[in-house]
Amino acid sequence: MKNRDVMLSVSGLRVSYFQNRKKSNILNGISFDLKRGELLTVLGESGSGKSTIAKAITGLLPPSARLSGEMSIDDETALSLSDATASDWRSIRGKKVAMIFQDARQSLNPAVKIKRQFAEMLVYHRLGSREGVTKIILETLKALHFNDPERVLDSYPFQLSGGMCQRVCIAMSICLQPLLLIADEPTSALDTVSQREVLALLEEIKRGFGQSILFITHDIAVASAVSDRVVVLNKGSITEAETPERLFSNPKHSYTKSLIDARNFPCIHQDRPAPALAAPVLQIRDLGKCFSPDTPVLKNVNISLYQREILGILGQSGCGKSTLSRCIVGLEKAQRGEILYDGMNVLGLRGRRRRELCKHIQLIFQDARASLNPGYTAMQIVLEPLRYLKIVPARQRQELARSYLGEVGIDGDTQNRRPPQLSTGQCQRVAIARALIVKPDALICDEAVSALDMSLQGQILELLLRLHERFGFGILMISHDIRVLRSFCHRIAVMQAGEFCEICGGGSELKESTHPYTQLLLSCEKELEESYYSKINLMAD
Amino acid sequence: MRQRRAEHWKISLISGFALLCGIVFCVAGASLLSGYSPSEQDAAARLVPPSREHPMGTDAFGRDVLSRTLYGGRTTLISTTVVLTVALLTGITVGLLTGINHDTVIDVVFMRLIDVLMSFPFIILAMVVIALFGASLLHLLAVVAAVWWVPFARLTRSIVLQKKSDTAVEAARVLGAKTSAIAIRELLPKVVAPVLIQATFELGNLVLSISALSFLGLGAQPPTPEWGSMLADGRAHFFESPHVLMGPAIFMIATVLALNMIGEGLRDWLDPFEIIRM
Repeated sequence: MKNRDVMLSVSGLRVSYFQNRKKSNILNGISFDLKRGELLTVLGESGSGKSTIAKAITGLLPPSARLSGEMSIDDETALSLSDATASDWRSIRGKKVAMIFQDARQSLNPAVKIKRQFAEMLVYHRLGSREGVTKIILETLKALHFNDPERVLDSYPFQLSGGMCQRVCIAMSICLQPLLLIADEPTSALDTVSQREVLALLEEIKRGFGQSILFITHDIAVASAVSDRVVVLNKGSITEAETPERLFSNPKHSYTKSLIDARNFPCIHQDRPAPALAAPVLQIRDLGKCFSPDTPVLKNVNISLYQREILGILGQSGCGKSTLSRCIVGLEKAQRGEILYDGMNVLGLRGRRRRELCKHIQLIFQDARASLNPGYTAMQIVLEPLRYLKIVPARQRQELARSYLGEVGIDGDTQNRRPPQLSTGQCQRVAIARALIVKPDALICDEAVSALDMSLQGQILELLLRLHERFGFGILMISHDIRVLRSFCHRIAVMQAGEFCEICGGGSELKESTHPYTQLLLSCEKELEESYYSKINLMAD
Repeated sequence: MRQRRAEHWKISLISGFALLCGIVFCVAGASLLSGYSPSEQDAAARLVPPSREHPMGTDAFGRDVLSRTLYGGRTTLISTTVVLTVALLTGITVGLLTGINHDTVIDVVFMRLIDVLMSFPFIILAMVVIALFGASLLHLLAVVAAVWWVPFARLTRSIVLQKKSDTAVEAARVLGAKTSAIAIRELLPKVVAPVLIQATFELGNLVLSISALSFLGLGAQPPTPEWGSMLADGRAHFFESPHVLMGPAIFMIATVLALNMIGEGLRDWLDPFEIIRM
């Protein structure tokens, strides 16, 4: 049964947990082969068990997990996963299998310069002597087309962008010459520009080094762009395994179809007229903010949000868009400029007057679950702002909270559950209900859908849109995701290094933008989209 | 491996609780368990070794050691509980106050006060206060309470500093919560478990410290029975009749042991680091 072409072979992988004497299955007998020099993508939504696969084949699951099944790497004798010992795993990790994670910056030591971390790793694995190691590192980085590798090596991880950290991690793992590289959502936390760089690097090492890669993602476009073969995972079982061309042009399984459908967002530009930009709700003038004297985060930010308008703020990570939202709601203090609500400067308000402003401006956070107090039920959470701001008489609060929860689709028994018992989508719904119950004029969504699966993104956006039409508040939508903003916003302000470089219309107008920075962002997106749609449309041709 | 750890905390917690309940029961039911009054002197029966009438013997004044130990336990246990409650409330309040108002005048003033209290030998401070105001149990408790809130305040403050930039706390601010509401509804629940765990350990220490000060004659005054002062009284007769020390010593060891076991069990069960991270 030996096959020289197969790099990794997994058969009958089962993983389950026992919690409160109840067994929950994460993976139900997964089998797949990864060929030599192939990039195999595991595609699935959150909770499908895709990260568990990566952890199971590197022995990183917690001891409470029960696992069974077999795997073999590079045609060696099959290793039974249930009896693998610590020394088995040590011989696999690093030498045979290298892994990179979603948050690259966290896997690097923040207090040590990249060069030393790199060198230590090589010396530890006896791949170079202390003297000669710098040369090896530089050669590797040059081979991988890093611009300015000396600067990168001489930096601390926090001085580099998230994308650069991820590329450094990939370069480090490649140096070990592993048989297999596992990339667990390496681009999910990155903006489009960094994402393109990381994907290009993976492509490069696959082609140039013949590296076998197991790539894990929830993003169907990314999967279509990079992979040789795609394995679709749903609730711990493989539903389909195909080349991306065949998979996306002719999905056989209904789950795959639903994943493809989920990419089509509600688009506000189809049949609804844009609101008249007459009465501004929020006006931001010459806003400036710096955390330390020589590194301004915001410089001269000027923008207005009008009534009933959905305004998008687009930018790469680190451009200052989150800081802007935090300044508006008063979580950060800006040093210069003014923020006018209803003609009144609200910057630097304190005490009762700042709390008064909470009735008019509300914020939804990226990590909805973290923004809810885990000790309270959904009902109590939605009651919170009413209690703080004393908007409605105490007797009517319950009723109002119930109706708002119903409005966002949290009904019946779910209203009495606490955040740990709610799904991610439900948490975001509760957070939306909590923000809207005070009837704000402006709702700021700080990457509110960025951490969600495609299908959830669509649902939440649809919900926001429906509530927006019903209540008529203005939305300030902050995101690095062009697709979301393009289909959802009336106007899009593009932010670059703490300034707006362009404000243009949403929908197709964004595509016509001529500003070089917007063009750069668009081109990254376009590449992915093109590769995706080219595969989708194969069947149509 | 995991299973064994889980068992470990259960055993520790349950046996600690059982032991503490036993002690509290004995001390509370002192009049039932012993037929003698704690201050009743019997000149004819001085330093009698343990016998049927006096299970733990009598002391130099012919008083029954068992009944003095049990009644003395009331003084010791009640005073430690009172001191701990005061210290806990003060500590948590100061911790929340300084943590929320980090780097303001309040924070600086309290932290410097804490530095002073930490660097001042506790026994010396107690002696100075007692010398100024006179020896009495009340004065002693006041001094202990005035010092003992410090560890709770520091722990609370460090948790608050860590937690106050949490998304949930920021969300409450955006929703219009007053600072006091944030402190009580968002931060306090995260502080309680770790502080309670520390409190069980401190309680053991507190029993020892109050007894130590009473041993030095700074606390409960004769004829009030108290474990520490009983040890001090028995010291003179230690070599000819060691039984005089047995009662308070055994009870004191058992109490501190029980409290430490409870603390150990609670810590493994609730794992403060897990809680802090939550």
